[in-house]
Amino acid sequence: MTTEAIAPLDARSGQATSGTVFDIGYQPYTGRREGRGRSRLAIFKDGFRTALGFGRGARAKVLPWFFIGVLTAIALVMAIVAGAAERLGGPGTAAEANLPSHSDFYGIASIILFVFAAVVGPELLCPDRRNRVISLYLVRPLNGSDYILSRWASFLVVMLAAAWLPQVILFLGLSMGDAVPIQYLRNHWLDVPRFLLSGAVMAVYATTLALLTASFTTRRAYASVFLVGLFVITAPFTIGLAEELDGAPGQWVSMFNLTNIPVHVNDVIFSDQSEITEDAPARELGARMLVIWYFIWTLVPAAILWWRYRRLTP
Amino acid sequence: MTAGQALLAVERLTKNYGDVVALNDVSFTITDGITGILGENGAGKSTAIKILLGLLQPTSGTATVLGQNASQSIAVRARVGYMPEHDCLPTQVSAAEFLTHMAEASGLPPAMARTRAADTLRHVGLFEERYRAIAGYSTGMKQRVKLGQALVHDPAFVFLDEPTAGLDPAGREEMLALIRKTHREFGISVLFSSHLMADIERTCDRIIVLQDGRLVQSGEVGQFTRETETVFIEVDSNREGLVAALKKRGVAVTVERTGLTIEGPDESVYDHVRDALVEAQAPLRRLAPRRRALTELFERESGNVHANGAA
Repeated sequence: MTTEAIAPLDARSGQATSGTVFDIGYQPYTGRREGRGRSRLAIFKDGFRTALGFGRGARAKVLPWFFIGVLTAIALVMAIVAGAAERLGGPGTAAEANLPSHSDFYGIASIILFVFAAVVGPELLCPDRRNRVISLYLVRPLNGSDYILSRWASFLVVMLAAAWLPQVILFLGLSMGDAVPIQYLRNHWLDVPRFLLSGAVMAVYATTLALLTASFTTRRAYASVFLVGLFVITAPFTIGLAEELDGAPGQWVSMFNLTNIPVHVNDVIFSDQSEITEDAPARELGARMLVIWYFIWTLVPAAILWWRYRRLTP
Repeated sequence: MTAGQALLAVERLTKNYGDVVALNDVSFTITDGITGILGENGAGKSTAIKILLGLLQPTSGTATVLGQNASQSIAVRARVGYMPEHDCLPTQVSAAEFLTHMAEASGLPPAMARTRAADTLRHVGLFEERYRAIAGYSTGMKQRVKLGQALVHDPAFVFLDEPTAGLDPAGREEMLALIRKTHREFGISVLFSSHLMADIERTCDRIIVLQDGRLVQSGEVGQFTRETETVFIEVDSNREGLVAALKKRGVAVTVERTGLTIEGPDESVYDHVRDALVEAQAPLRRLAPRRRALTELFERESGNVHANGAA
């Protein structure tokens, strides 16, 4: 171990002062080692920062914040329109005009939420495998399951924020736009747990599908294009085919509209119909089947995702 | 862990990939210090390291690291470091950010992780460039970041897989100096894999030689050096007379196309050579110590292994 003494100069006189700076060389770490819990938290924190572009260059921040901005803007426009209707047309005008509200938000914004997941989600997994950083994680006190669960949780938090933030803004906007805000809060407080639950339904679905797709490629662009294509193509394809097929076959084809799967659950939670699902034949299969279908499309991809990373651990 | 106590132990380790045998009944122990694991490409060096790190499950046998079974204990990984041969660095983040993250991933609290990251980057010679994105680093700087992430959590033992790969001669010298410093100044024991005998010889205290998945030699580097050293003699005429004079003095000599080679010489051989040259009246053109090439050594060891196998 080297110990080097350096005598600093006094700034005014230029003379060597009596103070001494020591390079004490390498110091062994004697502090706490927090083990697997800290390792998982580190992966979680890194995933969160990666998704939002923190600690990266400006380019890494553009996409996530653009989508969050668009989602927030939609909620703001909805709140402003409802508030203007109340102010200009008098109390109750917004409700009478059936203007879009909390139950409609995910029907309107779901595709943006899914594209956000498709574009940002793969960034949490693909570079780690492409740059082979994952081999450094797996020699630390965690295994493949810890890694993927931490990454999934970190992206879920980002998706929850992206899903809830506009609804919170909408709720505040509608409250303040109402002629009697306290009365609005009294009448609509139940919307809060509903949109929290519905937002969680959207976030879990989008997170799981985005990360599962990302687990099959090392290129973020491939995963993003595939996912966007999947959401964009299945919607018109299943709608068209379901119209051609009457009865049960049409209803089941309609169930494969990937954009609608969590929106059906949103409709069940709000006991209302979104604009994009009100004509979907899948509705005829009933609320229970729609919820079961949602769980199948969430749990099965989650299990495959977990299995793919679990096998990295010998 | 006291000096001389086994930090790593491998017992009857075998690893098969289908029909390919990567490691075949290999046993060795590694104590405090710098140990080199030498072998040609495909000899099983990386496989052995990956089993010791718990990244691969052995087909049979056991691998123990710091007293714990490598393939079963996750906790032991908090006390070991690994520098892989391949590229393994993210491009968008800075070295400071990356090492802080890796220290946290090894279980260090965030404040300590930041301090350790800065200290480690200073020790590996990257303090000034620590806030630049890794994408802009040279190969040598990237190798330093790779070494830094292996040391940032102050492991008791560090595995370095071909740390000089891709470096120019100056970069190689610096990396070898850093490896020596890792043990001598930081007190961290090292297992250093390479296919370059010169790197191992100049850096390590002990050596393990693998060939085709088999252990062919292990021991002190000094002993290995003596065994692989030769003396090359070239004369202008009367080579046969010189060979006879050397044999008369009990010196084993191999006749090659351009000269004579004496294997594993001790100090007295030079006296015998002098006397033999005088006796044979052979004009000396060249007398030089020479190191046996790695491939040549493996051919010899392979011959021994096969001969022993046949016996």
